[in-house]
Amino acid sequence: MSTSESNEAQTTISNPEDMSLSYEPLFDATEEDNGPCYLPSYSSEKVEVDSLSSTSEGVSSDGSDALSEEGVLEDRQFSEKEDSEISGDKGNSELQESFDELISGDLHSEEGETAQQRVEGVDRSILIETSSISDKYPETSEIQVESAAENGNAEVHNSYQGHESGRGGVNAIEGLATAIGGNGVLKPDIGQNEDRLKDNCVQGKQHQYEDDNSTAWRKHKKHFFIFSHAGKPIYSRYGDEHKLAGFTATLQAIMSFVNNSGDSIKYIRSGHHQVVFMVKGPIYLVSISSTDEPLRALRRQLDLLHGQLLLILTKSLEKCFLKNAKFDLGSLLGGTQNVFSSLIHSFSWNFASFLCSYTCLRLPHTARQAVGAALQDIADKDILFALVLSDSKVTNIVGADKASLHPTDIFLLSNFVSSSESLRTTESFLPVCLPKYNAMAFLYAYIYYLDKDTCLILITKNADAFFHLKDCKSKVESFLTESHVLHDISNSVARGGLRIDDLPGGDVLYGSLPVSRVMGDAKESHSISSIKQRTGVGGAAGLWHFIYRSAYLNQYIASEFLSPLETPQAQKRLFRAYQSLYVSIHGAPTGPHQMKYRRDENFVLLAWSTADFEFLAAFDPLAEKSSAITVCNRICQWVRDLENELFFLGANPFNW
Amino acid sequence: MATAGTSNMQAKLVLLGDMGAGKSSLVLRFVKGQFQEFQESTIGAAFFSQTVAVNDVTVKFEIWDTAGQERYHSLAPMYYRGAAAAIIVFDITNNDSFVRAKKWVQELQRQGNENLVMALAGNKLDLASKRKVESEEAQSYAEENGLFYLETSAKSAQNVNELFYEIAKKLPKAQPIQSSGGMVLNDSPMERTAKSSCCA
Repeated sequence: MSTSESNEAQTTISNPEDMSLSYEPLFDATEEDNGPCYLPSYSSEKVEVDSLSSTSEGVSSDGSDALSEEGVLEDRQFSEKEDSEISGDKGNSELQESFDELISGDLHSEEGETAQQRVEGVDRSILIETSSISDKYPETSEIQVESAAENGNAEVHNSYQGHESGRGGVNAIEGLATAIGGNGVLKPDIGQNEDRLKDNCVQGKQHQYEDDNSTAWRKHKKHFFIFSHAGKPIYSRYGDEHKLAGFTATLQAIMSFVNNSGDSIKYIRSGHHQVVFMVKGPIYLVSISSTDEPLRALRRQLDLLHGQLLLILTKSLEKCFLKNAKFDLGSLLGGTQNVFSSLIHSFSWNFASFLCSYTCLRLPHTARQAVGAALQDIADKDILFALVLSDSKVTNIVGADKASLHPTDIFLLSNFVSSSESLRTTESFLPVCLPKYNAMAFLYAYIYYLDKDTCLILITKNADAFFHLKDCKSKVESFLTESHVLHDISNSVARGGLRIDDLPGGDVLYGSLPVSRVMGDAKESHSISSIKQRTGVGGAAGLWHFIYRSAYLNQYIASEFLSPLETPQAQKRLFRAYQSLYVSIHGAPTGPHQMKYRRDENFVLLAWSTADFEFLAAFDPLAEKSSAITVCNRICQWVRDLENELFFLGANPFNW
Repeated sequence: MATAGTSNMQAKLVLLGDMGAGKSSLVLRFVKGQFQEFQESTIGAAFFSQTVAVNDVTVKFEIWDTAGQERYHSLAPMYYRGAAAAIIVFDITNNDSFVRAKKWVQELQRQGNENLVMALAGNKLDLASKRKVESEEAQSYAEENGLFYLETSAKSAQNVNELFYEIAKKLPKAQPIQSSGGMVLNDSPMERTAKSSCCA
């Protein structure tokens, strides 16, 4: 990664939409993620003993290390400023992707700091960071704690900052405790406790030499844990929950230690590992990963995991814990391993997991209307929602008056249905909870597969409505069969979504005959020599893939994965790159960035956000910026032309 | 008996029992003649219908195959309410499932439906070598509680059809007027089940 191109330049381009576009210098991802560099700080603990060579003992030197890193960063920023304009980006309070927002003019480091402080004031978050600098790889450990108290957290943070620069010789735990408590008083015994607990935790997530039996377990790149506030395991992505009781108890102890001070721990970073904590009432969720995903994305994943839990059990599960704090929730989740593992798997392939939108089956408009008519026909007081999902994509949804299905509910429901093989056998009737609709109550879902791809889901509040819904199913089924719409749907499933090589109007061909390139875009002729060596993969201008999200409809469309993205690895890499790009354009304190252009050794990525739509595209790493933009405009036009086919237009707008 | 003169009747049948006892496998063997070694857990309840002819009466079973998981336990009344017959399934190689089966029997008896035909099915007879629940024990329990007991194997199909035929034969005697109605829509509020559903 360190060798990735750092191609930075700021340009303003007038394209038809009059958007300004900028090159974003992509720090190599390692650096970007591991070197958040704004706050010098104490070594909060020896999270990463090997890398924190100089920090644990001599904290004064640690302080200066951190300071010097800041110095380095400033240098870096200024050097970049020669090429591009930079301003502070909130992100996850990390400076990592702060090189956009070009409109806002030059960055001075003080401005950056101010922005930083403002952001943290808003977030009420405290950030403790430890860094030791080796020249190329700053290895950092970082802990984020969010104060639960309403007041004075920004001050806490500030005082901590001042504190820190003033004092050098405090040990790691003192630093943490100080920050959490907002004052300098320290209880040493607690500190030690914390220390020990942290160490345990860290040993658990880094595969160290001990415990041969679990080596494989430790090597997994992404762990998810759900456990109760008493530390009882509820779900673990890998391994036997019961055997992990000690591990979850340790996580719980860390969290409750911080909780005791009225705060909640959000985040620990140690080298490549990120530990994200989330508290949902009596349910604690933790992810431990080394996938370098942005914090916001990881938090969203934990949110979804919690949503899935609610979908199965409703929020009233919390009452069980009120009655009995040691309640074993795991026993209520029998048979749902698949649901969770499929959900977690979807975090690395399903764009809905970070786009907060749903996608529709590409289907001729008339066929979609026919499905809608069939569903409308059966809609009555007993049916709250009726939806047809094909290949886990929405074909049509009909909701009762004013009721609309939140995209997250669609996502969770679709995951639940598609991962429960037994539903394919016959008609089923089961309780589900749609957490965004009403997290407290069960609804009842009638689920029936009309054919191997297409699933009819009818949702009711009435537990006795089964036979009524069964009749409705018969009506829908006979209508769709007789009108051959079901046939159209399965054809559509087989045909798949948009293919980039179908993009009409190939005036900017990439990697094909040089002639057409010259004709298509004379501006680029200077670079033809470098580009025409490439073999002809991808679509126009080296386009590999795109996602178009309609903000109003809350729906997105993604193109099919074509060459050179056939391999799961390539798709996953692209997925992660999109995710990080998407999170970064939405992470700015000033609102979403309008455009972002990012180049690394794998892709050229382009993000474009307007009030109406968001657009993400991936190009060959050698693609030309200007032709890429031309192609993006054409794609947007293409998508709009096909709107009827790609999107479900009759949906109630979402009011959340 | 509304169906006595005619040749058709409908009967609601519910399967109850611990998870992994083989309820779905029994139903799939009976309805579709299929068996899968690794049957996925049922979610909620699955509905099947199958018709059997007994003497000159055709019985159309409307079968509710319920999920054995604990979280669905409190929903069971939704499925067994108004049932004409119930099959309580346990796994003969698993003593806990037999204990669970007895609890289901008690629960159904508490409902006070005297006409309910109850069958106790000791499933996984193909694994008889690993048997943990003796036939005699189950048989005597069944007799004491007015059930009939049959040992079945969904895998080998042994006694599966017999189980349903036996129920069908007992039905007309036990089943008064309602059977042609097929189902009873019950007015009891759903809140009750919903509220307790995850705190079983």
